[in-house]
Amino acid sequence: MGRRRHLLIAGGLTAAALSTGGSLTYYDETLPTTLNPLYASSMVDFRSQELIFDRLWFNSSINNELESRVVDSWEMADGGRAIRLTLKSSIKWHDGKPFTSKDICFTVQAMLDPGTPSPIAEGYRDILAGCKTEGNSVAKVTFKKVFHNPRQRLGFAVLPRHAFRNNTRISPDLEFSARPIGTGAMKGSRGTRGVVFSAVENPHHRAKIPQLQMQEGNDPLLQVRAIMNNAVQGIIAVSPPYRAEISARDELALKSYDLRSWWFIALNTAKAPLNNAKVRQALDYILDRNELREKSIGVKPGERNSPCEFISGPFVQSSPYYNRQVPTKDRSDMAKASALLTEAGLKKTGGTWSSRGAAVNFRLGMLKSMNTEAPDLLEYVGNQFGAAGFGRQSFKISTDEWNREMLTGKAKNYDMLIGKWSFGQVEDVNDLFNTRKTGKGTRNIFNYSRADVDKLLDNYDRAKTDTAAKDAYHKLHAYLADDLPYLFLWKLDTKSAWRTEVKSNTISPYFYFTEFDSWKYDG
Amino acid sequence: MNKRRLALTIALTCVGLLLLGSFTAPERLSPVSGAEYALPMEAPPFGADARGRSLLGYALQGAQIVAGPAFLAAVLVGLLATLGGLLRCAGSERLVTIVNGFREVVGALPRMVVILVVALLTPPEWRGLGVLAVFWAILAAPGAIDEASAVASRIGGANFVEALRAHGFTRPRIYLYHIVALNLRPVIVRHASETLMQVVFLEVALSYLALASDEPSFTHLESFHSWADLLYMGYTSLILDVPTMHALLLGLGLVGVTAVLSVSVTASARAR
Amino acid sequence: MKQWWLQPMVRIGVALALPLAVPLIITYLIWALPGDPASIICPPELCGGTEELAKRWNLDGGPYQFYTAWMANAVTGEFGNSWRVLQGVPIAGLLGTALPNTVMLILLSLVPLVVFSAASSAGWLSPRLDPLFQTIGLVPAVVYGLVAAAVIQLTFGADAFTEDALRIRLLLGALVLGVADGALAGAVTGTRSLFDAERKQRYVGVAILRGETELSNTLPNLASALAGQLRARTLHLLSGAVIIEAVLQIDGLGDFLWRGTLKQDFGLVLATATGFAVVSAALLAFQGLLEIFVALHVRRSPAQVSIEEAA
Repeated sequence: MGRRRHLLIAGGLTAAALSTGGSLTYYDETLPTTLNPLYASSMVDFRSQELIFDRLWFNSSINNELESRVVDSWEMADGGRAIRLTLKSSIKWHDGKPFTSKDICFTVQAMLDPGTPSPIAEGYRDILAGCKTEGNSVAKVTFKKVFHNPRQRLGFAVLPRHAFRNNTRISPDLEFSARPIGTGAMKGSRGTRGVVFSAVENPHHRAKIPQLQMQEGNDPLLQVRAIMNNAVQGIIAVSPPYRAEISARDELALKSYDLRSWWFIALNTAKAPLNNAKVRQALDYILDRNELREKSIGVKPGERNSPCEFISGPFVQSSPYYNRQVPTKDRSDMAKASALLTEAGLKKTGGTWSSRGAAVNFRLGMLKSMNTEAPDLLEYVGNQFGAAGFGRQSFKISTDEWNREMLTGKAKNYDMLIGKWSFGQVEDVNDLFNTRKTGKGTRNIFNYSRADVDKLLDNYDRAKTDTAAKDAYHKLHAYLADDLPYLFLWKLDTKSAWRTEVKSNTISPYFYFTEFDSWKYDG
Repeated sequence: MNKRRLALTIALTCVGLLLLGSFTAPERLSPVSGAEYALPMEAPPFGADARGRSLLGYALQGAQIVAGPAFLAAVLVGLLATLGGLLRCAGSERLVTIVNGFREVVGALPRMVVILVVALLTPPEWRGLGVLAVFWAILAAPGAIDEASAVASRIGGANFVEALRAHGFTRPRIYLYHIVALNLRPVIVRHASETLMQVVFLEVALSYLALASDEPSFTHLESFHSWADLLYMGYTSLILDVPTMHALLLGLGLVGVTAVLSVSVTASARAR
Repeated sequence: MKQWWLQPMVRIGVALALPLAVPLIITYLIWALPGDPASIICPPELCGGTEELAKRWNLDGGPYQFYTAWMANAVTGEFGNSWRVLQGVPIAGLLGTALPNTVMLILLSLVPLVVFSAASSAGWLSPRLDPLFQTIGLVPAVVYGLVAAAVIQLTFGADAFTEDALRIRLLLGALVLGVADGALAGAVTGTRSLFDAERKQRYVGVAILRGETELSNTLPNLASALAGQLRARTLHLLSGAVIIEAVLQIDGLGDFLWRGTLKQDFGLVLATATGFAVVSAALLAFQGLLEIFVALHVRRSPAQVSIEEAA
């Protein structure tokens, strides 16, 4: 491209940026922990980083096709074990340095470096083998094996080699985590009470909003009042009790935000009486999901465009892996539940179930942060089990304790845990259900272990085609719906609120701001 | 004398109310459909919350959460202040110095950090205000010990004891009656009653901090509701058009009962 | 009075030791918390590199090693970056903001306490006003704070964290700290009861008969107790500052200390705990020096009095 054309494009971008509205402010659930994509640990982190960095590949929010803003062309190599990426030219980092293939390879090497203590990088260590540059604009990334979806496996954000002085051991406490350098639509800078994003000119991004401010939303009611008064222009997640109020206002729009998450109650299959499949099936019949959904989320049965959709297995209904042959259980069936419990050897005396002479009590836990999206869900689940004749003790669990104890298989004291899983680009559930051993089953909450399940998961791992992958997961879905290591609840979208002055604000599933370039603000 | 008796009667009434609430608290609060935000006239005696749960239940459960720990902390501070005053009269400068040094260091510790660490170390099924109140009392005691020690010093310390011994009084009588009952009593009771109030405020603060930090409750089981929940429910009625003023008034009224208890105990123990 | 200097010297000695002792105690306390920062960020079951991170952060040698290494860096002004609360942000910068904010908050909140306490001890404030102070103090600081925070959020909106908004937060926070949670009522009644008890002493009556003022006689004797009360109240305000800073979202020592402990951000916790200790030490040293001054004043012969020999 000629230099004159560069200048024209830059001028046009500036003009475009200046022609639309000023600063836009929104509330997010909390402040991000970090702006370093290697250490993202919450949805807030992912959303913030989506503005600052480019992922090699992303799913378009419009047609769900895999697209890239930084890769111009690609081809598979080495029999499917490598992919050659040709990058777009003239892309610059936020500090003006050129974006090259060395940055891609640096990012891969940083993730593979054992001195980078990142759970996200760890996930890529099972997938990637290495990376080589072939000139400034071509990078060849090698995989550890052949995948049926190689590009989806490259959904990581690219990091600037020069910002780390080519040192691939990236520690979480580097200043980069607060003052990152990316190639995304916006440059971000973290303050103590918020994050400020400023638009950056680049050939592959044309942000029309020059500045974005993120603040931590506290009281949900105050957030709603603030947006009504135009003190802020957006709220990422509106708490269910306040959605009707927002809907009723003409100047506000309530928009669905697909978190790609599904909720569950994990059952401790190593502990009696939950080690008996009939008991687990009985609990599945005891749960009245309609009542839970109505009371905690406010969704009534038969409601159209419900943000909460029941599931019968470990996938959302829109997923190609979801097995539609397996029906959901919307309502409770106490007769079936009682029959199953009796078959399992439990006895009901005076309205209370007992096993081997002792009353059955469940210790029930829930990730505390879920209470915002489904207020009092823990209480309602406990009440349903209580009404069915079980004693219970309920506890809410902090995020740190959840990550430290529950995800690592140390939650032996609990009988049930209410949680949710969210999937970004790749819906790989292997780590949730595989027997826990080196490199596998790393997120298996209660150390569930079945040889049949391990085999199905292995089939998915080895699948070289989409069809083979789907087949493996469909069978998994059916198996798990019967064996019930989890009671599968629902997929829950949240609702965002934006003032109508904010236009063309397409909200991407999970990452939210993937299509931020199209956003406009007439404020 | 009548004023003293009146104060004591009021104090005992408040104690009785708190204990009554504490022992009659329901295990769980059940929502009642159609009773959301009901006012006291609609759902006597105190109305209902956003899910139709009776605010009387909140009051009783809250009493169970704070009553015991608050009394315990008050008694502990009183005992420690008494010890501080007596130590000053004991005549051992070395012991007094060591205790002073220790006391100063403990008093300088950031209290909320210590409380938070204790709360995080407590297993979930044991979580409650009791343990936290004990540690709060220990951390708040240096101020009480200091003042009691200063009072003991002003009446003469060991010299005062010796003077009374010369009059033929026994040591126990001197310490318990002349020093504690006659001189230290107002200081001890004032600090104890202040600590009682502080524990109530501590519970409110910790409840908020747990909510703001996305942590499970530090002061009670998740199935329980505290007076703090009434206040959080109610504060928005002051600035927004939310019908929760009845919750705020109830919460403040309950805190008021504890304040009346504190004031009346202090008044009944005032120096003649 | 035998060894009158002992207690003040203990106070001053402890004041000098506090900036070293408090961080040491806090280190042991946070070390007791379940897990550690390295394994929270990178649980060994989920990712490799935990040990290396622990080594980089000096977490592999026990609390005393961590403390000494941190102290050695701290004396050169090197506090590192925040690990978790504000990941990557230099702690020195955070301290530079937090310390003045907290000091300002405490000083401003002491104003009503000192003024009203002095007025009540001088008899300018009727005890009949006590119920008013107690009623105002009945409302927990959190409630006042939440109302104040809500007003600021609704008024300022997107500008809720500008300099102007911060000034308002500090003022409102100080007002709340000074009056709520029974602080003002406690200060007024506490000071008055001290002076009331002292006034009843015989020497005061004798001094008045001699033509001296009550205050000039009672104040030296009460100075130590008053200083102790002031220090106790200030420490109480400091712990209240944690709550006010959290509610009003003020970047202060208390807020960082709270969040740092929760997130096990050891460097941030130690730095802010040291800040706390310095403030506490200053108060303690002030109390000790005041005690020495008062003791010397009392021990000096009264002026214009001479001992005449008996005729």
